[in-house]
Amino acid sequence: MSRREQGNGLLLTSLVMAIVLTIVPLPPMLAPLKPYWVALVMIYWHLEAGRLRHLGQAFVLGLVVDLLTGSLLGMHALSLIILSYLLGRFRARIRFFPPWQQAAAILALLVNDRIVQLWIVVLADRGLPEWSWWLSPLVGVAIWPWLFLGLDALRQRQRLSRSS
Amino acid sequence: MSAPEGPLSRSLLGEFGGRTSRLMFYALAAISLMALDYRGHYVDQIRQTAALLVEPATLLIEAPVTAIDRLMQDFQSRQQLLDRMAELERRWLIDQARIGVLEDLSAENRELRRLLGAMGRLESEFVAAELMNIDLNPFSHRVLINRGRVDGLSAGQAVIDATGVIGQIDRVQRHSAVVILISDPDHALPVRIQRTLLRTVAYGSGRTDQLRLPDLPMNVDLEPGDLLVTSGLGGHFPPGLPVATVTDIERRPGQAFALATARPLAELAGGRHVLVIEARVPESVP
Repeated sequence: MSRREQGNGLLLTSLVMAIVLTIVPLPPMLAPLKPYWVALVMIYWHLEAGRLRHLGQAFVLGLVVDLLTGSLLGMHALSLIILSYLLGRFRARIRFFPPWQQAAAILALLVNDRIVQLWIVVLADRGLPEWSWWLSPLVGVAIWPWLFLGLDALRQRQRLSRSS
Repeated sequence: MSAPEGPLSRSLLGEFGGRTSRLMFYALAAISLMALDYRGHYVDQIRQTAALLVEPATLLIEAPVTAIDRLMQDFQSRQQLLDRMAELERRWLIDQARIGVLEDLSAENRELRRLLGAMGRLESEFVAAELMNIDLNPFSHRVLINRGRVDGLSAGQAVIDATGVIGQIDRVQRHSAVVILISDPDHALPVRIQRTLLRTVAYGSGRTDQLRLPDLPMNVDLEPGDLLVTSGLGGHFPPGLPVATVTDIERRPGQAFALATARPLAELAGGRHVLVIEARVPESVP
């Protein structure tokens, strides 16, 4: 297996996991708190490895999420390309932020994404979300360090096993 | 932000410039897709094709979740199960007694209808189904059930649970079907007010705990607590199924119609077991 393919293995696994977590149901009480898994994973790969940074990739990923969750076709695609664009714009800075500041930047990105989605939902006349809908970015940021450390550790291990 | 000089920064700027135009391109693509999906059903063909790919994926993802669910149920204590069985048996007995009375009434009703020469009631059959362990976007007001074309379902059939109407079948796939909830803002359900027999239409409000009745006459006889049942107009729903209770009625001066809100009886967000009603038009009585 070549280096590139090994890297792709982990990338694909993490994306599939993110998509599975997106459509696995939570108890109705917790459902609005579900973090935007696909966005978190995409942010990680973009930020740390420079992968998934093309807008086309974000667009396709968004369409997959739209089809699987039965959303308005293009809703998640739009939300992910905007996310990807903003991240590409500020990547050089966010990368070298101290951790807490990085988390704050991620929170800003996720909140901005909720605003984009709210805009779509309201324009499509689908009713207003409840207040708990806004908690999802907070949950996403709480999960971010663990996702970051976990994926970093996995990548590190892969690199070590490759070099030995 | 002022643009810095130099060949390096210029190439960076160029990259950002290209990225911005690509953002515009993809954003336009996404927005047009949404517009097409929202206005009319131009992308239905895409969805149908995609469903062929998406459905196996959902079934694959759902399998382990369902297995874990089963496993958790296995760990329920024996005492709990016995209690539950006793409770269900008691309820079953009561229901059996009620059904006995109903059978009698139903026979009498048929006889009277025959004498009157009226059309027979819609005959209906039920298909039991379960909600799938798949979370759809809450704003789509759709749920997935684990019965599909192979079980004889077709679009438009009514879906109910033990307490009331849930919605109707929107799209049928091979082994699953998409149900549109009555809370969807695009869904309209012909209903009747049980107490006064007034017929109207209940629209979804976009919230799972609310329906809207926007075209009632100003002098309508309606009170909070009134029961709404299906009127049977439209043909998809058999008449008399409980739908919702009225929670509030508002008569705004200067408006042409009174606006009422109602709370659906069925658990739209958290139910598990549902029934799909297969309504058939009976052979007309000569």
